[in-house]
Amino acid sequence: MEVVVSSTGAVIDPMDFKVSEVLKEVQLDYESPTVTKFIDETISSIKKVINKIPQDLKVGSDLAPGFIRDVNADKFEFSFKKPASIEIGGSYSIQALTKPSTSIDLFIRLPKECFHEKDYLNHRYHAKRCLYLCVIKKYLNASPKIKKIEWSTFQNEARKPVLVVYPVQEPDEIPGFCIRLIPTATSLFSVPKLNLARSNVRALTKEGMAPQATPRYNSSILEDMFLEENAEFVRKTLLGWKELREALILIKVWARQRTSIYSHDCLNGFLISVILSYLATASGGNRVNKSMKTVQIFRVTLDFIANSKLWDKGLLLQPHNQSNLSKEERKQYQQLFPVVLCDSSSQLNLAFRITKHGFSELRDEAAQTLNCIDKYRDGGFEEVFMTKVDFAAKYDYCIRIKADESKEVYASGFCLDEECWRTYEEKVHSLLEQALGDRAKSIRVTWRSSPSQWKIEEGFSEFSTSPLVVGILSSAPEKSFRGVDVGPNAENKEEALKYRKFWGEKAELRRFKDGIIAESTVWECQHWERHLIVKRICDYILSRHLALPEEKITCVAEQLDFCLLHGGKDSFSFHGSLLAAFEVLSKRLRSIKDIPLSVSSVQPLDPAFRSTSVFLPAPHPLANEKVKGRTSQLPSTCIQPVEVMIQLEGSGNWPMDDVAIEKTKHAFLLQIGDSLQKSWGSRCIASEDEVDVLMSGYAFRLRILHERGLSLVRKKVGNERMKQITSGDKELFIRGQHSSMINGLLGRYPVYGPVVRLAKRWISAHLFSSFVEEEAVELLVAYLFLRHLPFYAPSSRITGFLRFLRLLSNYDWTFSPLIVDINGDMTSKDEKEIHENFMTSRKAYEESPQNLDRPMFLATSYDKSSEAWTKYSPNSSELKRMVAYAKTGAELLTDFIVHNQTDPQKTWKSLFRTPLNLYDAVILLHRHKLAFPQRLLSRPEMIPGEMIKAKHVSEGKASKDFDPFMLRGDLEEMKKNLMVNFDPVRCLVNNLKEEFPETFKLWYDSVGGDAIGLTWDKLESKKRAREEMDDDENDKRQDPIDVLRNVGEVGRGFVRSVYLFKSPRLQN
Amino acid sequence: MGSKRVITEKDLKRKDKLKALAAKSKPKKLSKKKKTLKVVDNEEITFAPEKKGSKLDGQKKKKKDIETEEEITFASEKKGSKLGGKRKKKEDIITEDKSMEVLRKRERDKSKKAARKETKDLVLSMKTSKFMLKRNESPADEVYHISSGDEDCSKGMNKWMAEYHQSRPGLEILQRQIDEFMNAHEKQEEEARKAREISVADDGFVVVKHHRGRKKTTDSESGTAVGSVSQAAVLDKMAKKKNKEVGIDFYRFQKRDAQRNEVMMLQSKFEQDRKRIQQLRATRKFKPY
Repeated sequence: MEVVVSSTGAVIDPMDFKVSEVLKEVQLDYESPTVTKFIDETISSIKKVINKIPQDLKVGSDLAPGFIRDVNADKFEFSFKKPASIEIGGSYSIQALTKPSTSIDLFIRLPKECFHEKDYLNHRYHAKRCLYLCVIKKYLNASPKIKKIEWSTFQNEARKPVLVVYPVQEPDEIPGFCIRLIPTATSLFSVPKLNLARSNVRALTKEGMAPQATPRYNSSILEDMFLEENAEFVRKTLLGWKELREALILIKVWARQRTSIYSHDCLNGFLISVILSYLATASGGNRVNKSMKTVQIFRVTLDFIANSKLWDKGLLLQPHNQSNLSKEERKQYQQLFPVVLCDSSSQLNLAFRITKHGFSELRDEAAQTLNCIDKYRDGGFEEVFMTKVDFAAKYDYCIRIKADESKEVYASGFCLDEECWRTYEEKVHSLLEQALGDRAKSIRVTWRSSPSQWKIEEGFSEFSTSPLVVGILSSAPEKSFRGVDVGPNAENKEEALKYRKFWGEKAELRRFKDGIIAESTVWECQHWERHLIVKRICDYILSRHLALPEEKITCVAEQLDFCLLHGGKDSFSFHGSLLAAFEVLSKRLRSIKDIPLSVSSVQPLDPAFRSTSVFLPAPHPLANEKVKGRTSQLPSTCIQPVEVMIQLEGSGNWPMDDVAIEKTKHAFLLQIGDSLQKSWGSRCIASEDEVDVLMSGYAFRLRILHERGLSLVRKKVGNERMKQITSGDKELFIRGQHSSMINGLLGRYPVYGPVVRLAKRWISAHLFSSFVEEEAVELLVAYLFLRHLPFYAPSSRITGFLRFLRLLSNYDWTFSPLIVDINGDMTSKDEKEIHENFMTSRKAYEESPQNLDRPMFLATSYDKSSEAWTKYSPNSSELKRMVAYAKTGAELLTDFIVHNQTDPQKTWKSLFRTPLNLYDAVILLHRHKLAFPQRLLSRPEMIPGEMIKAKHVSEGKASKDFDPFMLRGDLEEMKKNLMVNFDPVRCLVNNLKEEFPETFKLWYDSVGGDAIGLTWDKLESKKRAREEMDDDENDKRQDPIDVLRNVGEVGRGFVRSVYLFKSPRLQN
Repeated sequence: MGSKRVITEKDLKRKDKLKALAAKSKPKKLSKKKKTLKVVDNEEITFAPEKKGSKLDGQKKKKKDIETEEEITFASEKKGSKLGGKRKKKEDIITEDKSMEVLRKRERDKSKKAARKETKDLVLSMKTSKFMLKRNESPADEVYHISSGDEDCSKGMNKWMAEYHQSRPGLEILQRQIDEFMNAHEKQEEEARKAREISVADDGFVVVKHHRGRKKTTDSESGTAVGSVSQAAVLDKMAKKKNKEVGIDFYRFQKRDAQRNEVMMLQSKFEQDRKRIQQLRATRKFKPY
C-alpha cells in the first residue's frame, strides 16, 4: 500500500491526499471575504430591483406570446405582486458549489395573489410563471450592475424556464459567475388536485375517452411547490457535516466527467444531494455515519447506487415509522416511474425525470467505478475523477440526428404530459433497441437543448437546435457483426406481419439450414466491411420510421476508413491468403532435407501476419511460383516483404565469433532459398543482409534466430552477460515474443487490429515514423484494451482511435511507466521491478529536467525496462510534439463525432494532414515515384497559405527510370524488374542521414506520404563538436540554403521541391 | 588591469582559438595558451598570459555563470578601449564593426553583465540578419533546379536503383562470398592458434597451465553439452543436489538487517511520493476538467 507523508508529517492515504487536492481545485472558498461580500452585494442589488417593480402592474400574454401559444395555455391577465420571498438555495446554500459551474440559485417564491386556485390546469401555472419572469427580466435589464440576462431551463424542461443573470463584475475566484432565478410555488395549489392519477391537461383528453392521467405534468408543478422544503431538508442534513459535503462535491465531479449520466433524464446535483441525505438519515438506514471519511462516503454511495435492491421498492425520505404513504400509493409510483425517490412530504417523486435507460446507465457507471477502485493499484484515482467519459469516447457508435426541423417531433404539441423532445428520445430509443437487438449492449439517446440563445418570446420551435445524440455500446463482434438476423417463424402470422412492418422491404422469407422457414433480414457485405453493419441497420431503420432525409442522420462508423483503403479496398482482405501462404511456406521449410540442420520452428514476425500493419501486402502476380499470364491491373514494381523467423535444430558446431555467426546464418538462408527454388520453383532474391523468398504472391523475408543467443536470454544470467548477446538475436527474440503476445490479444479483441492500423497511420501521417517503432504503437493500443476502465474495451475503430489519442495526450509520461500486461500474468514482484527500473531511468531527470531517459517508458513482461522499443526514441522533444498533436487531434475528433460540422476546412481528412509549416524546412517528393502511390493520403497539391511564408529553395524533375507500376512486356523482363523492399523514401532518408550528420532531424512518413520535414539540430548540444571545428567550417554549416540545395541533390529524380521556413538559430 | 598590453591584429585573429581553449579546463587552458604564444612569439607582441589568466579568475569570481568564451572577448574589448590608438586597427578586423561600436558604447554605460548579454544577442541577430540579407540580394535567390539525374547514377533515384540491383548478384555469388569469408576466417583462426602454439614452443618449454576444478562438460555460455554428459543429465543432477546454502534469514542479525532495510526502503518511498505529489501539484494534475 502506498503511503504519503503530508506536509504536516502525518501519514495519510494517497487516495485521501489526491482527493483533498481535487476538492481544493473545485471548491469555492466560502471564507474568503471578497467573494462572500461580492455575492451578498450582487444578490441584494437584484433583490432591490425586484422589490422595486411596481405593484399591480398588469401582465398579459403579450410578453411571451410564443411561449403561451406553444404550451397551449388560455389567454389571461394578472397583476404583478412582488415575490413572497427571495432566498438563496441550491448548492451555494449548502456550500457544495462545484467549479467550473459557478451559479448561485435564488429561489423566488411566487406570490399567491397572482394565481387562481385552478391555475394548475392546462399549463396555466407554467404560463404565469414564465410571464412573471419576463417582468423581472425587463426590470433587471435596466439595472447597470447586470451585464446580460439569458433564458435557461430548469432541468432541461422547456416549460419551466429560469433566468440566468450575469453581473458586470466578475471576481477572479469565480470565473463565469452567474445567478439563476428559480421561481418556486410553495403552497400555491392544493396537493390532492395534483395527484398522479389526475388528468390536468385538456389537450390530452379526447372525446369519448376516459381522461388520461398526467403524472409528469403534475410532478412538474409539485416539484416547484416542494422545492424550498426539499432544499431545506438537504441543507439541514449537510450543513455542519464536512465529509458529507465533500463527498457530494466528489460525486458531482465524478458524475460530471460522465456526460451520459449527468443529464436531464438521469442525475443532477440536487438528486445527488438528496441521495446522500437519504443515506445519512434514519430513513436510509444511516448507511453513512459521522465516523466515515470522505472517500468512504463516496464509495458507500456508489455502492448503494450500483447494487442496492432498495431501488426496486423505491426510496422514501420519510422514516418508515412516520411514513404516511399507503401501499397503493407506493405501487402507483412504481408503476409510473422507473425510479422512485419520494421526498419528505411523500407527495412527490423527486426522481420523476429519470428514465429506465438513464438509470441503468447510472448503475452501470457506478459499478464500473467501483471496479476501478478495487482493481487498480492507486485506487483508480485517474480513472474515477480525472478521465472524461463522454459520448465520443464511451460509445462505440455515435449517431447524430438533426430533427429540430422535423414537424413530426411536435406534431401533437410541444407539451402534453411530457414534452415532445422526451417523447421523441423514447421513440428513437425503442426503434434502435428493436432494430439492433443483442448487437448492442446498451443504447443511450439524449437530446440536450442549448437554450443560451433561446428567445422565449418566440416559443419552442427554436428550442432544441442541437442534434439528438445516440450512443451505442456494441456487443462482442460475433453478435454485432452478424450478417443475418432470423425473425419470427413464417407460420406465426401475427408476428411475421409485425416484423415485416418494422423492417419493410428488408424483411425476406428465408429457408434456413435446419429447415426452418422464417422472416429474416440479411446484411450482406465484404468481410472487412462488417463493422458497418450496425451503421447500415441504424440508418435504414431511422430513415424508414422517422421520415427524415438521409443527410439529417449521421452515424459515425466509417469516416476514418479512407486512410486504410488501398485501391478502394481494405487490405485486410488479403489477410487470409497471407496466412495460407505462410502455412504452406512453413510446411515446406520444415520439410527441407538438403541442409545440415533442419528447420525446427517457423514463426511469423511481421505485423502483417497479425493484421496490424497499416497496409497488408497484396498478393503480387509476379511473386507466384507459376506466373499467370495477364492480370487486370498493372503490377506494382515494388513488393513489400513480410518477415518470418526460423529456428534451426541445436548444434554445438556454431562458430563463436559474432560476424561468423551472422555469415553462417546467411549461408543457411541461402541454402534454404536455393532448396525452395529448386524443389518448389519459388524464386529467391538475396542480398548480403537479406534473403527473400517469393511464394504464393508474397515475399517472405527469412531470418534465423540462433539458439545460442536465445538460451542466454532465457536464462538471464546477470545483466553483464545480456549485453554480450548479439543484438540481432536479442531483437529477433523480443520481436518473436511480442508477435505471439499480440496475436493472442487479437484473438480476444478483433477490433484491436483496425485500431492499431489507424493509430499507426496517424503516427506516420504526422511524420513520426522515424521516432516511434510500430511495436510501441501496438503496445499503446494494447493498453487501451487491457486497462480499459472506466470504459469498456473499445468495440469500434473510431472509439479506439480516439482513446489512443487521448491516452497519448493525457498520460503522465514523465512520472509514470506505462505497463502493458498483455497476458494478465504480471505479479506484484514484476511490477515492483518495473517501477524500480523506471525510478532509475528518472534519476537523471531529477537533477536536470532536460535530461530525460526513455521519456516514453513502455514496460511489458518480456521487457521490464523499456529497452526494446522506446530506448532511443522518441526523446522528450519528439514526445512533446507528439503529445501536442494528439491533443489537438483528440479534440478535433471528439468534435467531429458529437457536433455537426459547418466549417468546410475541417473534414475528417484533416486529422491525418500534418501542418507543414511547423517544420524548419520541407522536402516535397514526386508522388508518382513513391513505391506505393496509391497509399498516399489525398493531400491537396498545395494547401493555400501554407507555403506563403516559405522560401522555395529548389525544385527538381522526376526520374524517368523508376516507375512504381510495371509496363506490360516480356515476363522475364518484368520478373527482373520486380524489386523487393525497395522504398525511395527510406533510401532518401538514409542517404540524408549519412550525408548530413548532426545537421538536421528528419521527420517522415514511412507508410505513404510525399513530404519530409526537417528541423535543424540545435547547435547548442553540439557545443563540443563545434569548438573543435575551425572557423570557416563553422560558417559553412550555417548556410541553410546551400545545405538545402545539397539535400535536393541527394534526392535527385525524387525530390520535387524544397522549401525553407526557418533558418537555424545561431545560439550558444 | 595593471600590466600594459599591446594587442595586434594577429592576436585578435587568435581570439577564436583562445575561445576554444578557454572553454576547456583551467590548468590545461593556461598551458595551451603558452603554446599559442609560442607561435605568435616572433611578431613583437608583449603579452602576459599568466596575468591574464589570473585576471580571468578574478572576473570569474564575480560572474560565475558567464561562459569563459565571452570573458575573453570581453577582456580583449576592454584592452581595446584602454589602448585608444590601436582601436581602429582592431575594428577593421572585426566583421560586424558597426555593431561592435554600438556595443562598446553600451558597455560603457551599462553594467557589464547586462551589456554582455546584449552583445551576445546583437551579434547573433546581426549574424542572422546579415546572412539573410546577403541571401536576398544575391542573384542566386531564384529557385535552384535539380537535374532529374537520368544521365548519371551518382546521386538520387538512379543511384538507389543501381545499388539495389548491385547488392543482389544472385545466390551463387553470395554463397561464394560467404565461403571465401568463412575460409579466410577459419584460416585466420587456425593461424592464431598456431601462432599461440609456436610462441609457447619456441624455447622448447611448454607452459603448463593449472586448470581449476573438474573438466568442463557444458559450454558456459550456451549451455550446450560439450563433453560426454548431456545437458539434461546435468540439469537432472543439479535438481537433485540439495541446497546446502544457509538461507538469508538464518541468523537473527540478518533478519534485523532485512527489517531495517525495509523500513529504509519505505522511508525513501515516502520521500519519493511526496516529491511526486509536489510535482503533480505544480503541473496542476488535479484539475479534473
